[in-house]
Amino acid sequence: MEVKILTQHYDKPEYQSLEGYKKYEGYQQLKKALTLKPEAITEMVKQAGLRGRGGAGFPAGVKWGFLPNNGKKRYLICNADEGEPGTFKDRAMMDRAPHQLIEGMIISAFAINSPKSYIYIRGEYFESKRIVEKAIKEAYAANLLGDNILGSGFSHHMDIYSGAGAYICGEETGLISSLEGKKGQPKLKPPFPAIEGYLAHPTIVNNVETLAAVTIIIRDGVEGYRKYGTEKSPGTKLFSVSGNVVKPGNYEIPLGTPLKDVIFNLCGGLKQGRKLKAVIPGGSSAPVLNEEEAMSVNMDYEDLADKGSMLGSGAIIVIDDSNSMVELLQVLMHFYHHESCGQCTPCREGTGWLSKLSNSILEGSASLNDVKLLEKVANHMKGKTICALSDAAAFPVLSFVSKFKEEFISAATANVALQFQSKNGQSYKRG
Amino acid sequence: MSDKKENLVSCVVNGKSVTVSKNTSIIKAFKAAGEDIAHYCYHPGLSVAGCCRLCMVEIEGNPRTQIACNTMVAEGMKITNQSEKIKEDVQWGLDFHLLNHPLDCPICDQAGECGLQEQYMKFGQYEPEMNQNKVKKNKVVSLGEKIVLDTERCILCSRCVRFTDEVSKTHELGIFNRGDRSEVGTFNGKELNNDYALNTVDICPVGALTSKDFRFKQRVWYLKRAEAICTGCSTGCSIYLDYNDEGFFRVMPKPNENNNSYWMCDEGRDLYQHLNPKKRLVQVCPSQSINASSSEEAVQGLKTTLENITDKTKVGVLVTGQYSVEDYQAFFSSIKEKTSIEKVYHWFDQKNSENDFDDLLIRGDKNPNTKGLLSVTKDLSLNLVDSLELKNTASHLDVLIVLGPEYNKFFSTLDEKIAMFKKAGQVFYFSSVKLEALDALSNVTQIPLPSLVERGGTYINYKGLEQKVAILPKVISGILNFSEIAKVLRGEKVQLEPVFLKTQKVKDNQFNFQKK
Ligand SMILES: Cc1cc2nc3c(=O)[nH]c(=O)nc-3n(C[C@H](O)[C@H](O)[C@H](O)COP(=O)(O)O)c2cc1C
Ligand code: SF4
Ligand code: SF4
Ligand code: SF4
Ligand code: FES
Repeated sequence: MEVKILTQHYDKPEYQSLEGYKKYEGYQQLKKALTLKPEAITEMVKQAGLRGRGGAGFPAGVKWGFLPNNGKKRYLICNADEGEPGTFKDRAMMDRAPHQLIEGMIISAFAINSPKSYIYIRGEYFESKRIVEKAIKEAYAANLLGDNILGSGFSHHMDIYSGAGAYICGEETGLISSLEGKKGQPKLKPPFPAIEGYLAHPTIVNNVETLAAVTIIIRDGVEGYRKYGTEKSPGTKLFSVSGNVVKPGNYEIPLGTPLKDVIFNLCGGLKQGRKLKAVIPGGSSAPVLNEEEAMSVNMDYEDLADKGSMLGSGAIIVIDDSNSMVELLQVLMHFYHHESCGQCTPCREGTGWLSKLSNSILEGSASLNDVKLLEKVANHMKGKTICALSDAAAFPVLSFVSKFKEEFISAATANVALQFQSKNGQSYKRG
Repeated sequence: MSDKKENLVSCVVNGKSVTVSKNTSIIKAFKAAGEDIAHYCYHPGLSVAGCCRLCMVEIEGNPRTQIACNTMVAEGMKITNQSEKIKEDVQWGLDFHLLNHPLDCPICDQAGECGLQEQYMKFGQYEPEMNQNKVKKNKVVSLGEKIVLDTERCILCSRCVRFTDEVSKTHELGIFNRGDRSEVGTFNGKELNNDYALNTVDICPVGALTSKDFRFKQRVWYLKRAEAICTGCSTGCSIYLDYNDEGFFRVMPKPNENNNSYWMCDEGRDLYQHLNPKKRLVQVCPSQSINASSSEEAVQGLKTTLENITDKTKVGVLVTGQYSVEDYQAFFSSIKEKTSIEKVYHWFDQKNSENDFDDLLIRGDKNPNTKGLLSVTKDLSLNLVDSLELKNTASHLDVLIVLGPEYNKFFSTLDEKIAMFKKAGQVFYFSSVKLEALDALSNVTQIPLPSLVERGGTYINYKGLEQKVAILPKVISGILNFSEIAKVLRGEKVQLEPVFLKTQKVKDNQFNFQKK
């Protein structure tokens, strides 16, 4: 059931080095791509239906097509910030196959005619940074990077840049601000990065996995790439499975694989005696699925959307019946409160409020009204801000509270004896 | 704004049709249509931040609500902020703004002109829903000589930061930390002391940035507002003067697209002090030969003196460029009626810096009406000559009549002028502002004038822009204006108007309680 396309050679330590990578057709796709027309590559990526693997799932080829022909220098940025709780696939890709990413990036840069790219890597990924840095050096030495790559006339330079550990710098415009040396804060859109991005130049930001997959599309062609996955969600994808499964880890599967199979076959199911309670299917920002939904959903963009959630970054967090949803939500709210950049008022204040409310509920010092308030606050944080962090904080709240309401109500009122209800519905703690 | 047809778009704002130029934001279209729209971070003189998320609108055919400050109008667009959905959004937007706000309105200087209070009265008026503790932040943070910051009151609209980045280009401010711990502050303890820093106080929608000079002096609802121009330099920024019957309290820029945009310099803000009795020349200072006890008597003394001089070359007139066109006309005409002067000495001490300009507003010519003075003297065929000539001619003069500076801090060569005054026979020195240095001169009679706003009139700035100052009631009694001076010189009687100040003393600080 696992289909190893991207991860085919991940078990071979030598694959990390240029020499080892070359043993398995390394950089053959680049050579091939350099003989093609750039537009033809973009068209292939479009036809292959490759959707962004960073979270939003936007078709990569379509995004590339937005670049304006204004003669301005274009930048390509690889988003390796991997901050979404539950996600750890990009790290594996960089550690095991740095050249696969670099090759994909050079091909993509050739397709969009960009002379310069950056890899913006998560601050805590020291080891991955070292590995990718070394690979970039090797590539330069082999004239796979630099001027006149392999005599093709195409020149491309690549740098790696370390973040400082802020989740918000994974959001593409926050990343760009950070790369520009500014405070890592998302920028107002429009203009979108493709039009005015890094240093106000047209810029494409793609996830590690998206860029690495471009190599595969060149190798297998549109038809070959589309062999796996569904019509609308073609190809394979890496899923980071964590939580209460026997064998957590990264798994490459064709899109459209039933979640049930992932949990109960690939990952060895739950611990003895445990029952599935819920699954967060696409990183902490994705709405939670209850058991019934989780058992029936297929892991592709469309089916997850039909079930009211999303594929996101492909981080599957499995929750069994030993967990309190109230406690989990409290942890998530602590995270979003900590990570909101604070520009937009609804997000800045809302994330703090949600965190306080979930703390109070967890402590049992809340009222029924506070449970309602959680939903109200989250509802007014949705779709109102510069970036999607606000939505990302609101989605878990809305799904957790609506699907596990009794749990929240009983937690909120656990210490109800200590409380009294005021006239206007506020609650006060005694003593 | 270009009004060529192809550059215009028509749209419908809350049911009203408006035509605006292309690339106009929806918020501007709302303003053009006279429709109310809530906003904090948007400021017409700054870039768009789009962070308060209060200016939400619904656009027909677009399921997502949009912010009006960063969305451009398009032909035929139908936009509303009157739907229930938007009203709820705005109410919640305000709720979020108030969530961690300390609500210390009773001790906040912004109360009465606060964006939060205004929005609360429109959209709020409900019970707070948060039971948990508010975020605590720093209060009473001094940002330098002029400004105090209260970070708890700050709504993080970033207007002040954008001002220092985009307008003053001095970059002192930033927003530090993130999320609801964000705080405005200065980099590395730098101070916010640039020449335009007080504009941040004006544009701060709340009481986070307050002026050390103005703070706690008056509740703003006790103030009246007059329009004037700043006489601090030849830019002549449009200003508001806030005053009441206790005196003048502050100066704020009045938006003027043709001149100062939304800003003014900090020096110009001192203007109000020169209008209050404390800095004013409040009564006649007699000299040895003119023993007058009122302005009227002093001007009568001038009249007699002029009448007794037969050699008209012994009469000198020295003026600064700080009076209005009407002032000069009245003054020169009345002198000319008495005596045939041909030239006027020009007190202008900025020869070397005359054309200086800081690329924003401040100009080297510290006179608001040099152009006006030139045009009046030309009309009256008077020869305007450099006052340096007085070095040679002063000792020949029996009488020197002076229209002194009103903004004396700019007059660096005062000592030189005093040396010339000493050489002349008698000096009649007219000014609204007190110059201590003159008291020691026994040949100088000082006669008070009404201030800028008590005289009114037209000023012509560096680029020929004519601006009018309206006339306000007088603050000090017994003072003659230029037409009254002309009457006295003609031998006519004058009837003086009563003053409007309740007290002659302006309180420096309301909280200076007297000890018993
Ligand atoms: C709060 C926030 C955090 C994000 N973090 C990441 C991240 O760590 N890595 C990533 O690839 N995309 C992240 N994204 C998505 C990016 O904004 C962007 O959509 C993505 O990099 C585009 O690449 P793709 O089209 O290849 O997915 C984040 C988005 C948001 C709103
Ligand atoms: S939504 Fe939140 S994280 Fe995103 S820009 Fe606004 S305040 Fe920052
Ligand atoms: S201090 Fe005032 S102007 Fe500056 S960000 Fe805060 S509220 Fe806005
Ligand atoms: S720039 Fe000149 S006119 Fe404007 S406020 Fe300053 S001194 Fe007054
Ligand atoms: S005025 Fe538009 S978001 Fe603040």
